[in-house]
Amino acid sequence: MQPAPLYIIASPRPRTGKTLIARLMIEFFRAGRRPLVGYDLNPREQALAIRFPKLVWPVDITTTRGQMELFDRLIADTASTKIIDLGYSSFDQFFAVMAEIGFLAEARRRMIEPIVLFVGDPAAATVRSYAELLNRLAATFVPVHNESVSLMFAKQDFPGTHPECGVIRIPRLSPIVRGVIDRPNFSFAAYMTEQPGGPTEVHQWVGEIFTEFRELELRLLMGRLTSSLAGGRTLRRKA
Amino acid sequence: MAKPTVIVVGADKGGVGKTTVSRTLLDYFTAHHVPTRAFDTESPKGTLKRFHPDNSDIVDVTSVSDQMRIFDTLSSTDSSVTVIDVRAGLLSPTLRSLRDIGFLDAVKKGQLTFVVFHILGSSIASLNEIEDTSTFVGDSKYFLVKNFINNTSFFEWDQATHSSYFKKFKDAVEITIPKLNEMAYEQVELASVPFLTFVANKGTKGEAANYSFVLRGYVRHWLGNVWAEYDRIKLNDIVATGGTAPANSPRVQVVSRS
Repeated sequence: MQPAPLYIIASPRPRTGKTLIARLMIEFFRAGRRPLVGYDLNPREQALAIRFPKLVWPVDITTTRGQMELFDRLIADTASTKIIDLGYSSFDQFFAVMAEIGFLAEARRRMIEPIVLFVGDPAAATVRSYAELLNRLAATFVPVHNESVSLMFAKQDFPGTHPECGVIRIPRLSPIVRGVIDRPNFSFAAYMTEQPGGPTEVHQWVGEIFTEFRELELRLLMGRLTSSLAGGRTLRRKA
Repeated sequence: MAKPTVIVVGADKGGVGKTTVSRTLLDYFTAHHVPTRAFDTESPKGTLKRFHPDNSDIVDVTSVSDQMRIFDTLSSTDSSVTVIDVRAGLLSPTLRSLRDIGFLDAVKKGQLTFVVFHILGSSIASLNEIEDTSTFVGDSKYFLVKNFINNTSFFEWDQATHSSYFKKFKDAVEITIPKLNEMAYEQVELASVPFLTFVANKGTKGEAANYSFVLRGYVRHWLGNVWAEYDRIKLNDIVATGGTAPANSPRVQVVSRS
């Protein structure tokens, strides 16, 4: 049985494209008809929940009740792929609660695999925050370079827990096209399949990102297979 | 076999969390496989008994017959530890009774181990209580407990006043009980089970329960911190051997974990 992934799209800073990445991921998995649920942890501006009202729950984790709505559901649902759009204002509290309630150990026990997609940027505070999280949490970390936020990306500042997964690159998009994809009813998946007259800049952009997501899934799967084979060899040696 | 140990948990003021501390002690000894019995002096209601019905009894600690029930059975009971949750206002009278029946003399002779958890409130009256109590606890392991579980801020204690009182009791060791998330505390109250049972997601009869994972996590984390305090004072060694509390334990340093 494969573990159910829990993608946490995170950054300690605002305006780094977390919601856009969450939106792309939702559309990517939805296109593959995967059982899917999303959580919008942006208490002030729940753009993801507004865009996908039947798929994404808005949650305010500043209250204990909100924490229960989120973490109790995450733990109970061992089948769906889960995506969290973690707003920067909830960043510290989310990881603090996660650590305090022992979420990661319970998730592992229930075959849920938390994967933090950390949107990096050159700010020293972001680099520090990443290093501190990496040190504190036994989860899978995959750095994300959103070129719309910064063209510079020092890979050595954001080492992933699985080097083979590399860095997910979100290419820069021209401002005009950005206006198109921000329209309330715009769907990447629908555009990819229905819009005639391609390929356009959007086709290419979405295609590249979906390829990144597909490769990430494959690399995580390969990593699990490799480690399980290595574990098997160890056991045989011990026997 | 270890000497019988009597742990008195008390305060002269109400609502400072005596029963909560008693519950954490019972859970701690359960986890360490130390046979323990408890007496709940909140007669006739008995909050402690509600959470630990199997190993606690309700007594009226001021009545001679119930005093006999507790103290005459110390050597014959299977439990090596006896926890007494003393009702508000009865700490000093109880300690006086212990002196009068010769219990404190037996402690002095090393026949029994006596531990006092004195739960402090935020008011200056709590500091006066320490002075009243101190005359009876000379041969005991005496712990002053600052309980933050009910959001006590200890606002009335300025450092100079605090130090002037604590300096008088060189052997008193201070313990801090951190705050527990209110909703988690409330859910354990509603469940009427020991903290440990709540963490294990079990009901009153050991059946599977359906408590929130988040709230169980908060209780587990909090209980771990409370037990870390008991480990720091080597409570398990004290009840096993009657050993002394560590000399290097911080005495008046308070670490707030709110």
